[in-house]
Amino acid sequence: MSKFIVIGERIHCISPVIREAMNNMQPEPILKRAKEQIDAGAAYIDVNIGPAEKNGVELMKWAVKLLQDNFDNIPLALDTANMKAIEAGISVYNRSKGKPIVNSADAGDRVEFLDMAAANEAICIALCSKAGVPSDNDERNAYCQELLERGLGLGMEPEDIWFDPLFLVIKGMQDKQRDVLNFIKDLSDMGLNSTGGLSNVSNMMPKHIRPIMDSCMLAMAMQCGLTSAIVNPCDIRLMETVKSCDIIKNETLYADSYLEL
Amino acid sequence: MGFKRSPQTFSAKVNAVTIGTGEKAVTIGGENVFPLYSFDAPIENKPKIGVQISDRGYNNAVAGIAEYYKGAENFVDMAKKAALMPGADFLVLSFESANPDAENTSVEECAALAKEIAEAVDMPIVVEGCKNKEKDAKLFDKIAAALEGKNSLFLSAQEENYKEIAASAGLAYKHKVGAESAVDINLAKQLNVLINQMGVAGENIVMNLGSAAAGYGFEYVASTMDRVRSAALSQNDTMLQMPVITPVSDEAWSVKESIVSQEEFPQWGSMEQRGVSMEISTAAACLAAGSNAVILRHPESIATISKLISAMCDKEGN
Repeated sequence: MSKFIVIGERIHCISPVIREAMNNMQPEPILKRAKEQIDAGAAYIDVNIGPAEKNGVELMKWAVKLLQDNFDNIPLALDTANMKAIEAGISVYNRSKGKPIVNSADAGDRVEFLDMAAANEAICIALCSKAGVPSDNDERNAYCQELLERGLGLGMEPEDIWFDPLFLVIKGMQDKQRDVLNFIKDLSDMGLNSTGGLSNVSNMMPKHIRPIMDSCMLAMAMQCGLTSAIVNPCDIRLMETVKSCDIIKNETLYADSYLEL
Repeated sequence: MGFKRSPQTFSAKVNAVTIGTGEKAVTIGGENVFPLYSFDAPIENKPKIGVQISDRGYNNAVAGIAEYYKGAENFVDMAKKAALMPGADFLVLSFESANPDAENTSVEECAALAKEIAEAVDMPIVVEGCKNKEKDAKLFDKIAAALEGKNSLFLSAQEENYKEIAASAGLAYKHKVGAESAVDINLAKQLNVLINQMGVAGENIVMNLGSAAAGYGFEYVASTMDRVRSAALSQNDTMLQMPVITPVSDEAWSVKESIVSQEEFPQWGSMEQRGVSMEISTAAACLAAGSNAVILRHPESIATISKLISAMCDKEGN
């Protein structure tokens, strides 16, 4: 057991500011967002460069160097559908503060991302799905076993595969939420690491509701054994929840100033 | 099949903190294993021993101490003798007389004495206050100024006066700051955080987690030290990676076993031997629980604990 790992999600090409910065390779907006997330307590920073079919290799190398040079080799999750771009990013990646994370593989079209992570001694986020959302936990578990066996067969350590249960939007899939939590518990019982895009649960909810819903889901998921999540670390309520849960789970020793650490 | 031992080492380690300057400077901490687990990895810096003297003089009733300091006419003389005590690594100056309920010695007078001692001995100096928080804040400020450049350790900053002590001894005069929490693990971490937030680097803080004589609630001390060390190493908690110094003598020499005379309790035997035993057993227990330095008084205790440390930490043949 160890402290919960927050992967900061805010360097994402879906944001207009970041997209423009990536298009023009402007460091400032990217560095600014990275700093905000690190200061807020992110252990890893996700770098989503989108599909990046044209210049992915160049762009990912640039982003990896930019962030690691400026932030003491902060560990990164390399996030794109362009596999060559991830490999290129890993080729310039400094591992002194942690292995790179490949974001992500699944049991379908993206299964080769797992092979690539294994070949590069990286951590791999493995979505327990094939095409679309798994219908139940039997399905999740089948994909999980498939990916686990494949990874182990390629010489990966089981702790380097971080299984993503697929968090589902509450508005529309309210009846599936307990399945997700139960599956996290199953992963935890098997001693496996887990992560995922947690804020998906509050998608399409009013802005003021989202931090509340995300925080509650996170607390419940942490109790089930979730070991990491890809979230917005600048969400104060959410980070307060992570830190408080780490205290309750005895992953870190309490001090009155724990929220400032 | 033979037993294969796998050493339990950690990627995190206790901070190494140096006190004093020059050849006699001592470094405590630095290890990445549990206390005295030299079979898992070499102990980076052996635990150290401080010899404590008070500006109120020594206890004449304890023959071994009286004998050692015989002829010393004042605090400075005592310090010179203490600096030569076999087994001692650093000097601990206790300015008890500054307590308003004692002689209420002025802070200027104490600072002048501290300076005189620092000029007369080359041993690293640890400064203890008078156990009055308000006075200690003022006392440490003056002594820190007088000892500027000596890289001394000030014991201790507490919840009520850490701001003054961190600002003065820690920041203005670049000494090491002792953070004292009375066997309260959460406060121990909190004080480190607060002193660190004032601008004193974690590498310049030493923890005094509190003490108790063996048999007087020592199990709380031991479990506190255990938990602190485990958080520092296994959870990589940077706010608990400071080395630990434990003042043993104050407690050991004030419990009944160490002060009741042989006349009163003939069946208990020599009072001095009881005190020495109390000091040795408490110090040994502290070292086993995680102290990187212990503060002692009696020459016999210091010699014994020094021998114990060598036996536990030195490689064969050294």
